[in-house]
Amino acid sequence: MSRIATFLTRRRGDGGRWHWTDVVTWLWLGAGLILMFGPAIWLVLSSFKTPAQLAEFPPTILPYVSETVAVTLNGETRNLPLYDVILSDGSADQLAELRRVGTVAQMIDPADPETVIKVPITDRRPVREVGFAWDNYLKPLEAFNFGQYLYNSVFVTVTATIITLITNSMAAFALSKYEFRGRNAVLLIIVATLMIPLSVNLVPLYSVISTLGLQNTLWGVILPTVATPTGVFLLRQYMLTIPDELIEAARMDKASEWQIYYRIVLPLTAPALAVLAIFSVVWRWNDFLWPLIVLSRKELFTLQVGLNTFAGELNVQWHYILAMTVATMIPVVIVFVFLQRFITTGIAGTGLK
Amino acid sequence: MSFALANTIGAVFAAPVRWLAASIDAPLRLWQRLTGKGGMIAFFLMPNMIVFGTFVIIPLFINFAYSVTGGNELFLTDRSFVGTQHFDRLLTCDNHFDPSSCRDDLFWTAVWNTARFVVVQVTTIAIVAMGTALILNSKIPARGFWRAVFFFPVLLSPVVVGLIWRWILQRQGLLNFVMIEMDLTPVNWLIERDWAFVAAVGVSVWAHVGFYALILLAGLQAIPRDLYEAAEMDGTRPARVFFRITLPLLWPNLLVVIVLALIRAVQIFDEVYVLTGGGPGTSTLYLTQYIYEIGFASILRNPGLASAASLMMGGVLIVLTLGQLGLQRWRDRA
Amino acid sequence: MGQIRLEGLYKRFGVHEVLTDINLEVDEGELCVFVGPSGCGKSTLLRQISGLDQPSEGKVFIDGKDVTRVSAADRGLAMVFQSYALYPHMTVRQNLAFGLQNMKMPRAEIDRRIADVSRMLEIEPLIARRPGQLSGGQRQRVAIGRAIVRDPTAFLLDEPLSNLDAELRVSMRAELAALHARLGATMIYVTHDQIEAMTLADRIVVLRLGRIEQVAAPLDLFDRPVNRFVAGFIGAPSMNFLSVADAAPLLGGGTPDGVAIVGVRPQHLVRAEKGLELCATLVEALGTETVIHGTLASGARLLATVAGHLKVAPGDRLTLGANPEQLHFFNANDQRVDAIA
Repeated sequence: MSRIATFLTRRRGDGGRWHWTDVVTWLWLGAGLILMFGPAIWLVLSSFKTPAQLAEFPPTILPYVSETVAVTLNGETRNLPLYDVILSDGSADQLAELRRVGTVAQMIDPADPETVIKVPITDRRPVREVGFAWDNYLKPLEAFNFGQYLYNSVFVTVTATIITLITNSMAAFALSKYEFRGRNAVLLIIVATLMIPLSVNLVPLYSVISTLGLQNTLWGVILPTVATPTGVFLLRQYMLTIPDELIEAARMDKASEWQIYYRIVLPLTAPALAVLAIFSVVWRWNDFLWPLIVLSRKELFTLQVGLNTFAGELNVQWHYILAMTVATMIPVVIVFVFLQRFITTGIAGTGLK
Repeated sequence: MSFALANTIGAVFAAPVRWLAASIDAPLRLWQRLTGKGGMIAFFLMPNMIVFGTFVIIPLFINFAYSVTGGNELFLTDRSFVGTQHFDRLLTCDNHFDPSSCRDDLFWTAVWNTARFVVVQVTTIAIVAMGTALILNSKIPARGFWRAVFFFPVLLSPVVVGLIWRWILQRQGLLNFVMIEMDLTPVNWLIERDWAFVAAVGVSVWAHVGFYALILLAGLQAIPRDLYEAAEMDGTRPARVFFRITLPLLWPNLLVVIVLALIRAVQIFDEVYVLTGGGPGTSTLYLTQYIYEIGFASILRNPGLASAASLMMGGVLIVLTLGQLGLQRWRDRA
Repeated sequence: MGQIRLEGLYKRFGVHEVLTDINLEVDEGELCVFVGPSGCGKSTLLRQISGLDQPSEGKVFIDGKDVTRVSAADRGLAMVFQSYALYPHMTVRQNLAFGLQNMKMPRAEIDRRIADVSRMLEIEPLIARRPGQLSGGQRQRVAIGRAIVRDPTAFLLDEPLSNLDAELRVSMRAELAALHARLGATMIYVTHDQIEAMTLADRIVVLRLGRIEQVAAPLDLFDRPVNRFVAGFIGAPSMNFLSVADAAPLLGGGTPDGVAIVGVRPQHLVRAEKGLELCATLVEALGTETVIHGTLASGARLLATVAGHLKVAPGDRLTLGANPEQLHFFNANDQRVDAIA
């Protein structure tokens, strides 16, 4: 245990003394941990709270579900929330709340429902335990089309990634393993596309899509995004390291160029393809502006667009908004947990944009 | 564990893919016989170039056409030539620094908002990324974990980012609660103009700093360890080590990061739009949102004007991207 | 100035003990060489002295002062790294001046020192160049120069010659020896090359698996190795080790008690009338000497180095003898046993 402690508290300072750089380091890391993970964790915790809970200020950390008690009043049986109350004479009791008027709560003793006791709200505390309002998730999934949005996002992401991998790798193959007259020109064109991001071409791109009849379709969302210059360069860099002798040997074995591509070069490029696939999945899943422009039919919305519209319409229904935000976030978190090592080494290794 | 997962996914897809690829082989062999290597090269390049051509190059030309034509119509043939009318409208100002004196005040509001944003955000993110990279490069335990910590927000979608922070920055949200606990006066972050700007900068720094920190970290790791040890033997204090050894050797990388951040900052839209919608008023309305509103969303749609504005933004971006490419060349050579 | 003492030094990385019970005294002005096979801990030990690493247990003293907890920057030592570690973005002059500027030395003094050292090491024409523009040997001299300008209490050199080609290594070795004579400063030198150790050292520290096997002057190490490891490490080709039975023909006067192994260097075997019967298996004719690989009757292998050019072919039989005073005796624990006087 002490060895772990020594390991964890390794410091620059000599033999156990704190150097100022150590203090700064640990403060920065601590702040980073809280700031980077905190908001997402807060999001998740908040998403399980009922609207009443969300309106509480100061907020609680964990979601609570109030205990209720069945009270029969005027022939009606209702479930009223239970509170621990301090009465005016100093004694403590458990009462159910009938209603709240301003800063005074009208409370009833379940055993004696006729008598209303007025209690200032500061003298009462809800009896509750940690509980999750799963309804926040279930309602939107059925009533607000989220299953459809999820399908659309998955469709767009998977299709775009597959097409990206195929077209980019074919182009990268041609540009890395062949010498031909127009090669530099083609490379230049691809570099040029790097300089023209989507945001510059929004209006004309929409007219192109419309001309092709792809407006308001998922394919209209997919197609403009698949030819990523970054992807072509990434794969090309990697393919350049594959020895040409392998390809020449294959040619001597009477392999066709297509076979060389898909049986030799492509498998060897697997690590770079994996990195590009991960990038593409994250990019396409998170795309917002372009789908926002292209899609106007609700059934076609991707998760991001759907979520944004959802949040705009239901401006005050945060409990649903939060839950759906968490649902939108989950796939990316999964990618993160399992694959972040690939991504971080991919970026570091290629100095990628 | 992730390796096993990747392998299983690969195996599942491999068989049908291989069958598909094999079945194309016969016709492609024929093609190769007829057109030789050149034909195959064309085949490999075609899909990508068609997409580039159709969805990047051609639209660029159409953009120019749009910017000199007027009307609400989408198809070029329905539009009338208006010459430099759009550019005139965008660029005419009594005082270019005062949007209200301009013919298109919204445009200049967007321009100056964006300018302010770019300067503040890029400076902030460069400094924070630099600090984070330095710390990630030092002797801390579980470095992989800490790298992942800072990288987490980068993967989140801008909509999620915007909504998380919209929730936290509410008047009765978490941040104000923490401030009250610390005896500070709470701020109405998204309602007050100046604080909304701070929020926009803060949120976008939060969402992207991990990415730049990683690039800088790679640059730092390329600096040989024993240079630091030699400096230690030379009796060098940490601050001097940073300014005389780390920074000069990291400089090419840092410039690349700054230019990348500039390029992204100029185009800022997604997370800010979800966070503030451009408000309060128009205080966080940036160029891309202007183009979006004028081109698509607002009732006063004017695609020609939006094109003109896009082209101007494009001009700035081309200069920046050229700078980025040049710097990357320099860095990789050094 | 420049006396270094290590007391009870241990270094562990987790459960792995890399240095065990190191006790050593290096005198002022001594050129002390740490030598040993890969992984013996010699570089680790050097880093403990430099202050770049801290020992798990034990103390380091410089000139009588306990510096175990003092940082590397403040120990007044200078180190020449195996990779030279020159600052690539600075000129040679800036590289030399860097450490001096840290000491807040006046500009005139810095310039004077740089001028002196450049002259001494003949690097004056390189002063304005960057390390990337220098050859390996030039870089090495700049690295040494960087250490010299600081006028340190002692020099620490970590395999400084291992990145040079063979020819350069020989000439640099001579230069280093001359430098030491001239400066008279304490130098601790780490190498895996025992020839460097033998030629440069005032005293050699032989290390194996984190322990000191022997500390002695080079010739003492050669003549009286304290155990079988040292005996086999020093001298190339390495010493032959024979069982008492195999060595019988050489042991005219009998052996001391407890001897299990007899050692004799290849260079000490000479053609004789009576002695070991060797059947040659491989002959390497080097011109200046002939190395004969062979087997004895028992099948044990033997190496002999004979001066000059000896006409031997594989399959030939030779009789080799040795001066009894040049035999080494080791007991069953591989420790040296001294011959009866």
